[in-house]
Amino acid sequence: MIQFSNVSKKYDNGTHALKDINLTIDKGEFVFVVGSSGAGKSTFLKLMMREEVPSSGSIIVEDKDLTKMKKREIPKFRRKLGIVFQDFRLIPNMTVFDNVAFAMRVIGTKEKKIRRRVPYVLSLMGLNEKARNYPQELSGGEQQRVALARALANNAEIIIADEPTGNVDPQMSYEIVDLLMRLNEAGTTVIMVTHEHSLVRCFDKRVIILDKGTVVADGGSLIREAATSHINPISEISNEYVVPPEEDYSAYAAQNAAASQTAENSEPVETSEEFIVPGGED
Amino acid sequence: MGNIGYLTKEGFRNLRVNKLMTVASITVLFSCLMLIGIAFMLLVNIEAFISGIESENVIMVYAEMDTGEYDYVKLGNDLRALGNEKIASVESIDKDVAYQEILSEMDEQLKNYLGSLNENPLPDAYRVTVKDMSRFEEVVSEIKLLDNIQRVYENSTLARQLEGIRTSVQYISIGMIALLFIVSLFIISNTIKVTMFSRRLEISIMKSVGATNSFIRMPFMVEGIIIGIIAGLLATAAVWGIYEFALGSFTSVLSGFGKEIQIDFLDYAPYLVAAFVGIGIFTGVFGSATSIRKYLKERKFVELED
Repeated sequence: MIQFSNVSKKYDNGTHALKDINLTIDKGEFVFVVGSSGAGKSTFLKLMMREEVPSSGSIIVEDKDLTKMKKREIPKFRRKLGIVFQDFRLIPNMTVFDNVAFAMRVIGTKEKKIRRRVPYVLSLMGLNEKARNYPQELSGGEQQRVALARALANNAEIIIADEPTGNVDPQMSYEIVDLLMRLNEAGTTVIMVTHEHSLVRCFDKRVIILDKGTVVADGGSLIREAATSHINPISEISNEYVVPPEEDYSAYAAQNAAASQTAENSEPVETSEEFIVPGGED
Repeated sequence: MGNIGYLTKEGFRNLRVNKLMTVASITVLFSCLMLIGIAFMLLVNIEAFISGIESENVIMVYAEMDTGEYDYVKLGNDLRALGNEKIASVESIDKDVAYQEILSEMDEQLKNYLGSLNENPLPDAYRVTVKDMSRFEEVVSEIKLLDNIQRVYENSTLARQLEGIRTSVQYISIGMIALLFIVSLFIISNTIKVTMFSRRLEISIMKSVGATNSFIRMPFMVEGIIIGIIAGLLATAAVWGIYEFALGSFTSVLSGFGKEIQIDFLDYAPYLVAAFVGIGIFTGVFGSATSIRKYLKERKFVELED
């Protein structure tokens, strides 16, 4: 469970990034966090990852009060999180396998366990064939799937995805959210930050809309639509919601559904049964 | 810690990836350590030379050339009369015996020539051995008051002159060593900083997946230590070479002063190696620790690009 209580964050340079945020994200929930740049999305994530501490208020993640957490406890806390970045952050001179294994090695996992776990998470992402490839040989979507595999490698309880679709084409964006969705079905809490409203609209999940450091809307699709229509005109003035141009994701949704019907067993990614126990290896 | 192997491998990888920087820092550190080594060996030699002279407790007392048998014996008695607590022994050196000794050390031609002269240029002499070194000066001045003395020869004046040099050499060497030490520290920490910057992607990933700071730091420390050890070993070898070379040209000069002092480099080599590797490890650990601490503190893993 993630709980923000009266959280405010003011940076030293005077920026008031978040103002009195109150929200709760339950275990196993899937949440979109939407907002234009400068709305406080990245501060929200940084606080949740204990990159920053709030100026006031408290944040509780998995029964741990982040505001009271000691510095040396941070690494252990972060092992519960799986973080996916917009720019993938794959190490160019390591193979796909090593990129995923790297996340396990640096927290001191035994090589024997790594050799079992990495092929497993790669198969979840449908990347078994690419294990020996280097990141630059992969498409953007595949790279992001490697990053996702890496986030899963250490059995993360919470997946935090910071604009995971920012650098991939619309078709792949849809698939990545779909993958996140499947992980969520298997019990992982997923928090995805994005500014692509049209993508969010394709999925019937809770949406938290941030604007100027406050939560302007929080809830299911209906409330979201209302909130979006309220936000959009304002945002168009500041020219933030119109870039990049909105994609019509519904076409991909239909297409993807058809694809998964036909190729159900050939690609392990497509079958949700595979996701029931992402950490079931141990 | 089943990860020592992994961490060491990473350290070596850092070195390989930043070849140029590694070579540069090894070279500079090597030069620093070499200078430290030279300063040290110079200090050791001057020290040994001076204490060698100081510990020489012999005073040569040369009688005047025209001193008769009676006066010579009297001089000997006068010397003995200085007292048992000051003088250990007074030994008469017959000028003929002394001359033969000198001749025997000369080469054949010169020996034949001087021998044919049938004349002995040496005065009779006494070799006085001083018992209590702290009263050396006192004994010398007392001897000088006696009659029929042509010359009193002792090394204390030279020793006193060298004393001044020793102090300045000590200060200069220590100052130099300290300065070079700081420079070494700076060089290593700078190399580590560069390496770290080039690996900021990996560091950001490590931080985001929850690697501990000490784990992140370790490969960089290993890198610093390896640089230190390599530079240390090279510097030892270089100092050895330079020392042997210098010894060859200086011993002839120094042998002019009393007994010959030979300091074998190999006697000191273990200390130098230990010190160099120690400096290497110290600078490696602290050089990297400080730069990493600063780096890890300043850099958040979320913002990578700048």
